[in-house]
Amino acid sequence: VKMSLAQRVLLTWLFTLVFLTMLVLKLDGKVTWNWFLIFLPVWIFDSILLLMLGVKMAGRCRAGQDLRQGAPGLRRKVWYIMALLLKLGFCVTLCARLEHLTNLRLVYICIPLWTMLTGAMVELGANIFPQRRD
Amino acid sequence: MLFSLRELVQWLGFATFELFLHLGALLVFSVLVAVQVDKLITSMSWWLVFVPLFAADGLSTYFTAIVSIRLYQEGEKRLAVLRLLWVLTVLSLKLVCEVLLCQKLAENDPTLDPLFGLIISPLFILLQLLMIRACRVN
Repeated sequence: VKMSLAQRVLLTWLFTLVFLTMLVLKLDGKVTWNWFLIFLPVWIFDSILLLMLGVKMAGRCRAGQDLRQGAPGLRRKVWYIMALLLKLGFCVTLCARLEHLTNLRLVYICIPLWTMLTGAMVELGANIFPQRRD
Repeated sequence: MLFSLRELVQWLGFATFELFLHLGALLVFSVLVAVQVDKLITSMSWWLVFVPLFAADGLSTYFTAIVSIRLYQEGEKRLAVLRLLWVLTVLSLKLVCEVLLCQKLAENDPTLDPLFGLIISPLFILLQLLMIRACRVN
């Protein structure tokens, strides 16, 4: 079942709004919740995305489609899952650092984020400057 | 992932190149934030850290102005004005948020210390505008 654009926008909007509100409350010292709790909307949103991607990929494999034919689509989905995991890794280590569970430097914490952003830029760049095929 | 590139361009009202520009600025900005927080360069100010974001906003405004002028010359006057208005609104809200955040981080004067609620408020306005635009696009 494919979600409509309105449903997807509403989902994104709602989670962003809740996350921003909780972040502001925490930063202004109005609440003393754990940083992992503040990031709860991020965990839920990413879990939904992972679940959706997993179901799509499983459906594709179960349908017995030719993997060679569907290779670009499958490769893209694998990249999406990797990007989500990188983002989750960044958020978890950031929360751990904010909760003083680790003294890891921010430069190391940001490595998954930079990898994800570089990948996203490469993908966008491929859309802007498509390869010439003579 | 959740949205196709075409849907994102339609919803956000930015060209793919502009999205690429802002993504690049975010990447450089995050590197500078990490360097600043870890104190790898001691003499760097927070205003310098925010330079990539300001530069992306400036370049995006320039790009939008060029596109709008071209659209206007080709007779698409309504589209040109609407695009210019939308992009300028989004960029100015983003810029206000960035400047306030940078000021809070750079200056340690408690009398000029705005609450984070105030700093993030342009983003809340932007979220409402994006929701309204999503209804129109849908």
